[in-house]
Amino acid sequence: MSIAIQLENVTKRYRTGRSRTIVDLVASSVADMRGQTTEVHSATRGKIDATIHALRDVSFEVKEGAGLGIIGRNGAGKTTLLKMISRVTWPTSGTVRVAGHVVSLIELGAGFHPELTGRENVYLGAGLFGLTRKEIDRQFDAIVSFADVERLIDTPMKRYSSGLYARLGFSVAIHSNPDIVLVDEVLSVGDASFRRRAMEALRSLIASGKTVLFISHDMWNVRRLCSDILWMDNGSVRAYGEAGAIAETYMNEVNLQAMQNQATSLQSHRGGTGEVRFEHVDLYTANGAPSARFAQNDTLVIRGSYVASKAVESPVFQVAIVDIDTGVVVTTASTAGRNTATTVQGPGEIEIRFTHLPLRPRQYVLRLSITDAFQLASYDVVTAGPRFAVTGQGAGVDSLADEQDGLVTLPFEVTHRPQIRHATDSTQIRHRLGTD
Amino acid sequence: MSSKQLSDKPERISIGAYFELFMNLTRREVKGRYSQSLFGAGWAIAQPLATMAVFTLVFARLGKIPSGGAPYPLFAYAALVPWFFFSNSVMSGTMSLVTYRNIVTKTYFPREIVPLAQVGSRLVDITAASGLYVLLMLYYQLAVTPWAALIPLFLLLLLLFTVGVTLATSAINVFYRDVNPVVQIGLQLWLYLTPVAYPLSAVPDRYRPFFLLNPLTGVVEGLRAVLVFGREPEWGVVAISAGLIVTIFIGALILFKSTDKYFADVI
Repeated sequence: MSIAIQLENVTKRYRTGRSRTIVDLVASSVADMRGQTTEVHSATRGKIDATIHALRDVSFEVKEGAGLGIIGRNGAGKTTLLKMISRVTWPTSGTVRVAGHVVSLIELGAGFHPELTGRENVYLGAGLFGLTRKEIDRQFDAIVSFADVERLIDTPMKRYSSGLYARLGFSVAIHSNPDIVLVDEVLSVGDASFRRRAMEALRSLIASGKTVLFISHDMWNVRRLCSDILWMDNGSVRAYGEAGAIAETYMNEVNLQAMQNQATSLQSHRGGTGEVRFEHVDLYTANGAPSARFAQNDTLVIRGSYVASKAVESPVFQVAIVDIDTGVVVTTASTAGRNTATTVQGPGEIEIRFTHLPLRPRQYVLRLSITDAFQLASYDVVTAGPRFAVTGQGAGVDSLADEQDGLVTLPFEVTHRPQIRHATDSTQIRHRLGTD
Repeated sequence: MSSKQLSDKPERISIGAYFELFMNLTRREVKGRYSQSLFGAGWAIAQPLATMAVFTLVFARLGKIPSGGAPYPLFAYAALVPWFFFSNSVMSGTMSLVTYRNIVTKTYFPREIVPLAQVGSRLVDITAASGLYVLLMLYYQLAVTPWAALIPLFLLLLLLFTVGVTLATSAINVFYRDVNPVVQIGLQLWLYLTPVAYPLSAVPDRYRPFFLLNPLTGVVEGLRAVLVFGREPEWGVVAISAGLIVTIFIGALILFKSTDKYFADVI
């Protein structure tokens, strides 16, 4: 297997601060001559020079045909890596070697001009990726149909939604004969069906021997697509190797942080009149341990503490479990008619317990609300509450990979009778499967 | 298609793709400028025409500047057309890389295509303005002599100089943003320091060396000589200009290609 990408002791330093002017140049030259540091303060404009290390002595190799997931916190250097591989920027020291045609999708629709139509932008974008007009002509229909923009292809792109923008950008890139594809979180925009097609396209690229580098915070997608993972931390390589073990460690660390963030997640997306308000909502397993991960058929305990600022009669608490990917509400649980009717004032606690959660391995978010007894007026609406993930049967991170569709696992039985012929029965309407 | 060799240099883009990218950006510039206006490329003619009218009033009527025997409007217009090609190219070219920052920071392509596209879009303008020049020549019943065969030479010098200056200013402007206002002001003044509204012969001898240092002097005087006066250009002046232009062009090219790696970091 030949090497597609090779980084050797790559370091990248950036100068931050606002754009320099010639006055700054003079000021820093004077400072240099005096032997002072490069941090120059301008009396009127404040600090103008500071150095940040985006990458520190990074070395690794990627083989041809590999699917590499690149993970890490924001600011860890992932995007800088991709920019180096796509030759947008160059290392301060060290060497970046690349074999083949690189196509990168760093942020949406590179080069698309809002005043031009989709058609014109396809030619512009594909041209930026190195295709000639003839080559684009040949691929044009495929590009447009993959992105599903036939209707709007001759409309200026300023009228496109951001999802459409991303789809067209992705489609142009995929069809540009890449040997190496760099994808940077582009798949977080666009509806679920497009995301699935995009993942499929990337998967078939890998299958046909192309190299794909995939930055994502979504471990599910990374695990599905990538055989290896590169974990960047603060500009250095923290781990590089087979996806399984690295993803597991990463997930555990992220899980801890996710639980710490539960308290803050209630702050956003609040509605309602406020007579009764949730203070904290936490998730627990059956034995009372706080968690953001649950196995299939586990027990999910949702415990919320609330405060009623005045006496309220029989509030109804409701929680909805929503699938993050599709936005589908899997189920709602409401305290209406559950004998918790009482007048509340001041602080209190409500617990809703799901035993034997039939949810499939996916990511979910809770929507919470407190309404009056008739569910007409809302006291509190939390549209994006605590998140949790359901893990599957496999060991470690293989439990995160879920090849099957569907949000819940329902019990079912199978009866199979091979080689039975059906007698024609004219009194029954039969659904016939076939080519009529 | 691609060589698939591990290399630390950017991927070579085919001449065809390079040219098409250039045409794409140029087309986009031209469209952007003229698509929503009433007169379209007519504005390319209005600029030298209007300036010529004002110059005729101010320099010829009020200032009584000699024009060497040719009708003054023609004299001025013939120099204004190449001037505006140069001046407009540099004016929009200087900011062009910053304007196109979204593609510079996200995808690799030969960066010089961006300022070159600015120059390319002005070729449309100069073609339109030259069309009017032909009409003016007919109006003034000016004969064309065999010296007109030298026109391509001067146009080439004009192009080289324009490209050179644009590459240089666009590159420096990426790193030092106050280049742009300096260029804007400088161009306004430069017009008057070039023998456009007046002939070089009207310049007193003690100032002449400074005027010769202006590479556009040779271009403008040469073009006027072969086109308006139908006579041999002053080869000494042309040679000085040509030497300066070639040097500046090569210098600008080196400057641009040695700094374009860092554009995306700073822009």
